[in-house]
Amino acid sequence: MRAIAGACVGAATLVLTLSYAGQALWAGAGIGAAIGLLWSIGQWRGAHWPTDLYLAGWVGLAAFGAWQGVSAGWMLVAMIAALAAWDLDRFAERLHSAGRVIHPTDLARAHLRQLAIVVGVGLVLGFVALGLRIELTFGWALLVAGLAIYSLSRLIGAGRDAEQ
Amino acid sequence: MHRWLLLSLLIAGLVLLGLGAVRGEIVALALPLLVYAGAALLGRPEAPKLEATRLFSAERVARGTPVTVSVSIANLGARPATVRLEDQVPPQLMLVEGQTRLLTRLAPGASAELEYIVVGERGVYQFPGVQASVEDPLGLFRATALFHSTGQLFIVPEVSRLRRVEIRPRRTHVYAGQIPARQGGAGVEFYGLREYQPGDPTRWINSRATARNPQTVFVNQFEQERVADVGLILDARQQSDVRTREGALFEYSIQAAAALADTFLHRGNRVGLLMYGRSLDWTLPGYGKLQRERILRALARAQTGDLPVLEKLDYLPTRLFPARSQLVLISPLQAHDADMLAGLRARGYQLLVISPDPVSFELRGLGEQAMAEAAARIARLERALLLQRCRRTGVTVVDWPTDVPFQQIAGTALSRPPIGLHGMAGAP
Repeated sequence: MRAIAGACVGAATLVLTLSYAGQALWAGAGIGAAIGLLWSIGQWRGAHWPTDLYLAGWVGLAAFGAWQGVSAGWMLVAMIAALAAWDLDRFAERLHSAGRVIHPTDLARAHLRQLAIVVGVGLVLGFVALGLRIELTFGWALLVAGLAIYSLSRLIGAGRDAEQ
Repeated sequence: MHRWLLLSLLIAGLVLLGLGAVRGEIVALALPLLVYAGAALLGRPEAPKLEATRLFSAERVARGTPVTVSVSIANLGARPATVRLEDQVPPQLMLVEGQTRLLTRLAPGASAELEYIVVGERGVYQFPGVQASVEDPLGLFRATALFHSTGQLFIVPEVSRLRRVEIRPRRTHVYAGQIPARQGGAGVEFYGLREYQPGDPTRWINSRATARNPQTVFVNQFEQERVADVGLILDARQQSDVRTREGALFEYSIQAAAALADTFLHRGNRVGLLMYGRSLDWTLPGYGKLQRERILRALARAQTGDLPVLEKLDYLPTRLFPARSQLVLISPLQAHDADMLAGLRARGYQLLVISPDPVSFELRGLGEQAMAEAAARIARLERALLLQRCRRTGVTVVDWPTDVPFQQIAGTALSRPPIGLHGMAGAP
């Protein structure tokens, strides 16, 4: 589990840094390498708390790279690798804080299977979306934005309901 | 930050940024995150349908004895569930082995067990319930519920049985026991002489007395031994308690009360317990092992209190104790208690006071300080005067320096009849 999470961070860092470097965006490459390094050290030391920050940073860097003209496909790959690493870090933390874990291998295997499906579908859908070209009028764009905000509120509501 | 909130913000940020910058590829970057959130949302757990049961290896143990707690949880739902279980252990108990938390995946109808060992100090511990959370497969959403699998653990004080405690109440019961009844009859100790009556055993004939009076035959009389009523009064007033780094003086009082109750009950007496301080906590008098258990459980939950009306012993409900019975007060004693004790004596009660010494106890907790030593000398003088006042009214007082085990002090001070007690009580 730890090795897979480490490999995901390594892959995300490598892809993002090389993509930025390919466009001579050295600052972005440096920041990506720094976040990747910190993330790896955190994994090695067992410090899982800043993982949320790393993921947010990674998404920000991917969006910035796509905006700056870096290959969106590579950005997508880097972001998905970071998402997987974030998920595995959180899973490791859950196992660690759970006290006694019954059949941890089975739990890990089930989680990896679920994650692999999600990552695979996300990757395929992402690449399909990158290949599509849709012209949106301002009204449609506004509708999509409204939908995004509505979905966000529903997601937050669902999260709160689950906690109660 | 909650994971679902972070994901939501990232997705919304990417979509809005992509729309604002009119860059479709930025919107496309949100898709994997959307898929992740959607998958978690689809597997979002419902309220857990679980059943929890808790078992103790023993529901009543002595202080320091390890207790194994087993919590079993069963999935009553129709779907497999990843269950995170956390037993709510009272914070005063110390976990010595095992874990109070568990993570497992439970198939419908399956169950899992959590086992751990705790030890604790004297007290009654309520286990509120088991907190169980069910998670979606990605662990993004969690539904938590508290299951009322209540349990109660009694940790009773340690009981050290005393070899002998001599008491002489003025009134005894009709049943045979071990307390001298101040009446002639069958017994062990010589009581007196009387004229021979038909039916008396010949071995009772006192040949010397008969030889001096040839006209009359004298027989020995022995003191009857009966069981008696013993009322234990535990001083639970907060002002009587002393707390230092080493603990509370009240715990020593508890220890003495437990030992005395056990000893009196073991010898067949009827024993009641009154805890005076936090409230008037009265354990009705009774005999035997059941009463021993009742008293130990009452002592397990004993706490000091500062109820203003019970600041002095003036409101001691003497009606609870049979007239002329034996009372045993376990108290460090306050200056104003002597008058009340004299009053009890005047009403015909035989009174024994076990007084854990608060001065030496507090001094031990303070360590070596010149000022403390001087203050302790004054306090010792005051205490000596107080004990002397009590003894003058006919109260038997045992001054107990708590660094000496109670068994030892009781063995020295209480193994002889109370008549000879006054001179030696207090000697460690």
